Amino acid sequence: MNTATPAHALAVTLHYAEPPSFSIWEMVLLALLIVLSLVGFFARFDRVLRNIFTARKDPDFHIAPVGRRIWDFFWEVLCQAKVIKERPLPGLAHAFVFWGFLAFALVSLNHFASGFGLGFLDSDGPIGSLIDGFYFWFAAVFALLVAVSIAGLFVRRFFVRPIWLGKKVSYESGVIAFLIFALMVTYLAAFTIPSTSPMARGLWWAHALCILIFLPLIPHTKHLHLVLSPITIFLSRGEFSHIPPLEGDEDFGLVTGKDVTQLVALQAYSCVECGRCSEHCPATNTGKVLNPKEIILGVRGYLNDLGPRSEEPLLGKYNSQEAAFQCTTCGSCEYQCPVGIEHLPIIIGLRRGAVNTGAWEDDHGTKLFLALERNGNALGMSATERDKFIKKQELPIFDGSQEYCLWLGCMGAYDPQGREIIASFAKVMNYLGTSFGVLKKEKCTGDPVRRLGNDLVFQQLAEQNLEIMKQQKVTKIVTICPHCVRTIAKDWKDYGASPEVEHHSEFMARYQDKLPKTNGPEIVYHDPCYLGRYRGSYDQPREVLARSGKVIDPPRARERSFCCGAGGGLAFLGEESGERISHVRAKELAATGASIVGAACPFCNTMFRDALAATSDAPPQLLDIAQITAQSIANATTTPSNGAQNA
Amino acid sequence: MKIIVAIKQVPVRDSNLRIDASGHWIDEDDLSYEINEPDAYALEEALQLKEKHGGEVVALLAGPERGSQTIREALAKGADRAIHIECDDLASLDTLGIANRLAAAIKDEKADLILTGLQSDDLGLGQTGVVLAELLGIPHATIIMQVEAASGSIKVKRELEDGWFQHVEMPLPALLTIQSGISKLRYATLMGIKKAKTKEVRRVSAGDLPQAAAATVTIERVYLPEKKKETQLIDGSPKEAAAKLVEKLKFEVRVI
Ligand code: SF4
Ligand code: SF4
Repeated sequence: MNTATPAHALAVTLHYAEPPSFSIWEMVLLALLIVLSLVGFFARFDRVLRNIFTARKDPDFHIAPVGRRIWDFFWEVLCQAKVIKERPLPGLAHAFVFWGFLAFALVSLNHFASGFGLGFLDSDGPIGSLIDGFYFWFAAVFALLVAVSIAGLFVRRFFVRPIWLGKKVSYESGVIAFLIFALMVTYLAAFTIPSTSPMARGLWWAHALCILIFLPLIPHTKHLHLVLSPITIFLSRGEFSHIPPLEGDEDFGLVTGKDVTQLVALQAYSCVECGRCSEHCPATNTGKVLNPKEIILGVRGYLNDLGPRSEEPLLGKYNSQEAAFQCTTCGSCEYQCPVGIEHLPIIIGLRRGAVNTGAWEDDHGTKLFLALERNGNALGMSATERDKFIKKQELPIFDGSQEYCLWLGCMGAYDPQGREIIASFAKVMNYLGTSFGVLKKEKCTGDPVRRLGNDLVFQQLAEQNLEIMKQQKVTKIVTICPHCVRTIAKDWKDYGASPEVEHHSEFMARYQDKLPKTNGPEIVYHDPCYLGRYRGSYDQPREVLARSGKVIDPPRARERSFCCGAGGGLAFLGEESGERISHVRAKELAATGASIVGAACPFCNTMFRDALAATSDAPPQLLDIAQITAQSIANATTTPSNGAQNA
Repeated sequence: MKIIVAIKQVPVRDSNLRIDASGHWIDEDDLSYEINEPDAYALEEALQLKEKHGGEVVALLAGPERGSQTIREALAKGADRAIHIECDDLASLDTLGIANRLAAAIKDEKADLILTGLQSDDLGLGQTGVVLAELLGIPHATIIMQVEAASGSIKVKRELEDGWFQHVEMPLPALLTIQSGISKLRYATLMGIKKAKTKEVRRVSAGDLPQAAAATVTIERVYLPEKKKETQLIDGSPKEAAAKLVEKLKFEVRVI
């Protein structure tokens, strides 16, 4: 309880002023309002909790490794690292609001306690004592930062209005921003008056009301993320684009509410509608129906209306099938989301639900599935074409004696450009003196069907390939295709132990000192989604390219790289609606002025081949990093004075 | 409408075929098998008719144990049940022998419609369906592009030579042999495969069926096509060469 003497108040006017005491009527009123506010909060929050807890359990959720979870919590929640990194200014403003809330927790608790005469912080305490006068000042600094930040965010949302926040102006966001601002102002204003002033009582009540009104607004607005997102981040699957196993005979992916898992429900309720996912989505950016934020909100809408036990299909009123099949699985959304929402398990889950039950009818898709069933490759070519290519290139056949198995993949085996990449990479391997061989028989790794949600064909392909691996005693694979790398390294694991696998950029980077070093032209490097975001290999391809030229980055590079449009099986689904993703990216790459576009994925390569020609009169040359390296080697070996010192 | 679809299992396209020691058939070790392509279209047609008019689709297959894989796929795509005539001697039978077995296995089924593929990808005789119809004493039509069912009868479109078609109306029950590529095949789904596990497969042992008379047609020799290179170089000025080429294409090769 505060018993400030007038003398003191006059001597140090700048201290936090609280009413010296409260009448019994005030206490009753306060208690009533608190109960009302809490009832308002729980009435709505209870349904959210029930929708989360009654959802199906995630079949493969493990709390371990806890260390990783604690780190994510510390880094992404407490430090707000991702929020700040990806949108520095608003991110910092958000961080201040967040840290301010943490700092205020104690002050707010004390605020209500003091209303019942139970205050435990003494605002009159000496400035030096930790939990007293000092704490009020400490909180005041934050109050100032929060007030400035929230005002800034308010201006951004209502006047600058970035399109990613949505076309509709959210008035409730305005109300909440106002409440937070008022909360801070009422707190700061109390420093300018003596405790005995009647104003102190007014401010005290205003401050309390701000909190009591705020609380019931949380559960049905995006501010639910205040409560849920720290949990969502702590409980995230922790693996990029994780595709959970199907459980039992009735699980076909996300078909109805019954298939929604607890993690999916938790994530759906955590979305803060910031639009970071949409801002970076290649589909949303080129006028497709798909908007990753809407997918998440669609699931939330479904849960709100029908709950997790409903047998209504998830695709239909709440989410569109068309949208789900426009996703390139580039993973920008999942990478960007500040509250730990994992879009890909949801989008791929919806596709699985549609494909595994036969609900998805698409001529191109059916053709792809039948080609993979019958021919074992996505291009629907005869396996003899592959044999011919191997013979023509005189590629050695893998017999267990060589160190590496060079995996061709569909593109490397059948696509003309892909074949050139293989031929070049074989030259590099020969130059480095690495022993390798190619398999006599190889099926598609199953990447396109895995991402399109066809578990039947994927399982067949994975099992057939794993059988070949076992027969041929393959232990180490190197391949030119990041999609193959991902599928072999992660997705095959559902059906057996798969060999070690490496992308050719990673392989070449390990031997970079042995590659010739020349001062070549400028090369703009495009990060393939499946090598970058999926695998974190950003530096290796750049290091390899740096041996042959000057590597430059396009405006969107590394984690923020913009998809070529081929992933997620979309390379096989025919014409896109809206603008072509590959054209947007090709223009961006060409605009850097580099004379060479360096690619590291045969799918990117085939997309850009057409896109560069279509969007530019004098397009830069398009080459895979293996082709660039093979060229440098060829140059160096024909001019020995140059090559000898490096080789 | 009760529809029976006779399907055959054949080596997958692009298989590396080797002749077996006897020289009468191919070496079946290491081969993978799949549904005969025209039969896949017959099955698709049956499923579409069922979707339109209701009823039941029964898959019928004669062949060794490995045939159950193809049966499972047919069930996964939507066939309601299957009949598997288990036999290891297909290669030694002639068309009449096979058709006899098929007819015996389904004579009590009283199907309204029997569909087969136009021909098989391995032997390509194109007769099994026709002989089966004769044995069952029902009318048949071949090389069918389109089927429209009315009550008690069907209208079909047959492919003739040279882009000509014939439209025929025929009573039920009947047998049709279906042309490849007439519709879009559906893809097999995980749900279909799981459901297929619970569907009925009636297994009939070939020994329990009436024995067919000795084959009247037997395979003498199986051999790979011999490669001959007959490249002709046409010389002369481009104009003359083109004229000669047209001549050859018209009268020697007769393709234009
Ligand atoms: S994975 Fe890429 S294409 Fe798919 S929704 Fe996310 S950002 Fe869009
Ligand atoms: S899903 Fe994540 S990134 Fe997208 S709007 Fe919601 S919170 Fe923002």
